[in-house]
Amino acid sequence: MMELVFSGCHALVLGASSELGICLSRDLIEADIFPVLTCRNETGIQKLTKELSDLSGKFKTVALDFTNDPSILKTFAEQIGCEPDFLIDLAQPDFECLVGSALEPEIFEYFAASIAFRAACLKQVVRLMLKNRQGRLVYVSSTAAARATPGQGFYAAAKCATGAIYRNIGLEMGSRGVTTVTLRPGYIDAGRGRSYAQQNTSVIRKRIPTRKILQTKQVVETIMFLLSDSASGFNATEITMDGGMSAGK
Amino acid sequence: MEMYDSIKEIVVDILDVDPDEITPETYLVRELNAESIDMMELAVVLADQMEVEVDEEVIFLRYLRDYLAEAKEIGINSSSMIAEKYPFLSPERIEDILGDLDDGPVLQIKDIVAYIEYLT
Repeated sequence: MMELVFSGCHALVLGASSELGICLSRDLIEADIFPVLTCRNETGIQKLTKELSDLSGKFKTVALDFTNDPSILKTFAEQIGCEPDFLIDLAQPDFECLVGSALEPEIFEYFAASIAFRAACLKQVVRLMLKNRQGRLVYVSSTAAARATPGQGFYAAAKCATGAIYRNIGLEMGSRGVTTVTLRPGYIDAGRGRSYAQQNTSVIRKRIPTRKILQTKQVVETIMFLLSDSASGFNATEITMDGGMSAGK
Repeated sequence: MEMYDSIKEIVVDILDVDPDEITPETYLVRELNAESIDMMELAVVLADQMEVEVDEEVIFLRYLRDYLAEAKEIGINSSSMIAEKYPFLSPERIEDILGDLDDGPVLQIKDIVAYIEYLT
């Protein structure tokens, strides 16, 4: 049986307070990787602290609101308190709206947070990784990046733009040991995906050739694999994990 | 020479070149073929090891030619403009640079040394 080996012992998880983030945090700790978990606000920190109370001392939480002024990132290295070997990006502000209905200030605010702030944050992280010539970044995107539904135009645009940034990091810094991969999961039985899936079970299952909605644990195990040395051949690329949903019409 | 030796060691490590190839007058791009990623790594390592905040646009004389064009456009002396934008360069070095523009990127190891010494 394949045993996963990890080159590094510090991970930064962006947007960690989701169900996926909490499950991932447990697996990281189990793999002897110390995670620094970021979330938007104090509510997220309290949630993480409560959900991971049995692992107290084995992780750190940091509030990082993507709607903040990017100048706060000047002290980012001090805030996270480590030089991360891994970054797992689960952060994605929600903005579901028809393109023709969106309010202009909300459009600007959404892209500033989901793309510009994130890019500024990634700049800081990859420079820390460059110093050690080691780093692995996994961005959890969505099949919506390739096949959005009505109302997901901004979300899909943010996912595509962010995916492009990650792809270029892998392209530009692969020679320095800093590599990236984007995972595009389909419907996950967690968070927003769960409530949508519960309301549209039969429709969704018909669209997925395997007829199976992804389980959180399944996605976390895939992320762990992508972080491991076994997956080091994947760089500057996107992997779709949707049971074949986006392959057909 | 202590600062020069430290910076030379960093350059040798990043660009994987023979230390004997390096002198203070060695051109980073023209002779050592340094690429953008090399320059970025150099800035990151210098900032870390020298404990200074490195401005990549300044240390690598990135906008030198833009400043010269601007000086020409507004009718001011090129040397004065360069001295203002890059206060770590000596008057002699500025004159050397202005006479060396046609052969390509002018950045030399000693310019990086001068920048770091200026900051520390």
